[in-house]
Amino acid sequence: MRRLPWPAMIAVLVGAAIMVAPLLWTLLLSFKSNSELMRDSATAFAAPYTVENYTAIFSGSLVPRWLLNSLIVSLGTTAGVLVLCSLAGYGFARLEFPSRRTLFALVLLGLAIPEQAVILPRHQVFAALHLHNTYPGLILPGLVAPFGVFFMTQYFRAIPKELDEAALLDGASHFTLFWKVLLPLTIPAQATLGVFTFLGSWNDYWWPLISATTSDRYTLTVGLASSQMNYAQTSGLGYLMAQAVLASIPILIVYVVFQKQIVRAMAGNGVR
Amino acid sequence: MRYWLAILLAAAALAGCSSRADRTEIVIQRFFGECAALYGTSTDISSADTECGILTTLINKFGVENPDIHLKLNVVAWPGYPQLSAQIAAGDPPDLVTMHQSVIADYQRRGLLEPMDLMLARARIGRGDFTLAGERGVLKAGRLYGMPWDTIGGLFHVNTALMAKAGLMKGGRPILPASPQELVAQAQRFGAATGKPYLIQAQVNDPATHVRNLYTYLMAQDEVIFPDARHIRLDTPKAREIVGFFHTLYVRGLSTRDQDFSGATQSFMNGDGGIFPVGTWMIGPYDKEAQQPGRPLYRGYAVLPYPRLWGHDAAFVDGHAWVMPKRPRSAAQQAAIARFLGFLAAHNFDWTRTGHLPAFKAVLAMPAFRALPHRADIAAMAATGEQLPDYVARQSAIQGLIGEELEAAISGQKPVGRALADAERRVNELLAEML
Repeated sequence: MRRLPWPAMIAVLVGAAIMVAPLLWTLLLSFKSNSELMRDSATAFAAPYTVENYTAIFSGSLVPRWLLNSLIVSLGTTAGVLVLCSLAGYGFARLEFPSRRTLFALVLLGLAIPEQAVILPRHQVFAALHLHNTYPGLILPGLVAPFGVFFMTQYFRAIPKELDEAALLDGASHFTLFWKVLLPLTIPAQATLGVFTFLGSWNDYWWPLISATTSDRYTLTVGLASSQMNYAQTSGLGYLMAQAVLASIPILIVYVVFQKQIVRAMAGNGVR
Repeated sequence: MRYWLAILLAAAALAGCSSRADRTEIVIQRFFGECAALYGTSTDISSADTECGILTTLINKFGVENPDIHLKLNVVAWPGYPQLSAQIAAGDPPDLVTMHQSVIADYQRRGLLEPMDLMLARARIGRGDFTLAGERGVLKAGRLYGMPWDTIGGLFHVNTALMAKAGLMKGGRPILPASPQELVAQAQRFGAATGKPYLIQAQVNDPATHVRNLYTYLMAQDEVIFPDARHIRLDTPKAREIVGFFHTLYVRGLSTRDQDFSGATQSFMNGDGGIFPVGTWMIGPYDKEAQQPGRPLYRGYAVLPYPRLWGHDAAFVDGHAWVMPKRPRSAAQQAAIARFLGFLAAHNFDWTRTGHLPAFKAVLAMPAFRALPHRADIAAMAATGEQLPDYVARQSAIQGLIGEELEAAISGQKPVGRALADAERRVNELLAEML
């Protein structure tokens, strides 16, 4: 591996320090007592430190429940998106059917519609179906993933068609072709899409805020927000920062585990 | 063996069902945060602290004393109105909700709240039981749309040690100015004696502070701020004089500059200025500081209503209330709600330990209330406290718009006249869009 020239190395280190500083500051603040920070937030850089904010969070009776809810919703959404987008991507990329192009254009149109524009009718529909305060109510909106369909379609298109022909000549059905031949080749794309879907779902705040309105159905983001008092940034700064640290730990784990896929997707190499 | 085990399990399940079914469930939704870690099962109200702690303990105590009622509690993210609106839209609102009195009109004018006159009468609570400010806060179109729970408003929190150094104490009490000119003179004297600014102000990202100052001193001069439901009147000589005055304090270095609420709080706690105009909710933390030897506020803290700089005594206030969203309820649920409201009313004194003023006259007159630190000094606000007229909707959004403009005017980013004209135009545009 070629080493960076030292001016570039210094620039990278400075950039990294600037990026990491707020995170470290957050971490330090989370280990300080609220009363001390209320007097002087600069004391974050000096002892004594305490774990009282973390103790307070974990003593909250519903925190484990909110963590579980977030996991169920994020994993459910991710699994659903991967299944649906893979099937749709295969269909758009490999199958011929009437209005295929029009339908694909309609799906892409979904990328141009912001969530805020549909949230009211969606809320009404879910209310009529009695889906609020349920897991399906939190998972189903996340399954509408036009970007995922586009992403998987492009990936399937990039796979040589000779593979299809060979499999079909050997007597494989379309499902066998999809399941045993093509799908294994899309694992890198699945990983990229899965990671981004999980992150988006874990961090989602707006829909869970208005759909999950009973405490036992909150996701972690909504639950932590509900446990804050007004003026928390003044009188409960340490607690606030501990919440931020806690909420970001699963994301950090996902990032560390799937670092390669995330970096590749960010670099635009997710699609071959 | 399996047979008996199955019977045992079935019996246990049935027993669980019957005990649950016998209880009347009402859903209580509140903000103020979550503090189950500290007060999860506590029923000792006297040892509870903070808004969250006191309310959690009260609800626990009610649950223990009323085993036939099951209070299902929802703690919502501050301030909880997006969730409440969503619940109402979905046809499943809670039974009782905490709501700012300034927000009640937004829901009441759309017919989303129950009038509570009859419910309160059932709880043996009459309109005459409320303080003037409390009654004004929940009275909409001649009917009570909530049970007022407190009155909150701005106060002058004073560092008496620094005031003494400047010779601005008399008989152990701070001498507050009686006119804008006197305030400037005191501020100069204070600065010369202490080397510190007289006023600490949360000027950045805190629209409530600016709006509280402006509304209070406009009300003190009997100005009509909202002539009707669709218009605000801000570009006036009196408004220009008030905002110009705070701009002058900023320019002349008589107040702290460019601090947000947290920064201003730290300044006051560390003795970096004389007076911090902020709300009732900060009495508790500051009083704690005043009891800690070695701290700048130790034995050097007082709190008083806003001084009369213009016109007569006045205070722009808000308050919390318990409201009932419209929904079908059984007779048993209505009885349970009435009992819970009666319980809350009986414990309104406990709530005043938060620093907020009581909503009930009887509490205001209680020796125990007067014996709480500083409460006798600020009790007058329960009578002088005024709110905006009940026809003014979207008060929180309006506060945000005005606050932005006032922040720009006071810090000199915009001329005062232009900022007030812009605030007036922006608010009128918002009100014109209301359905």
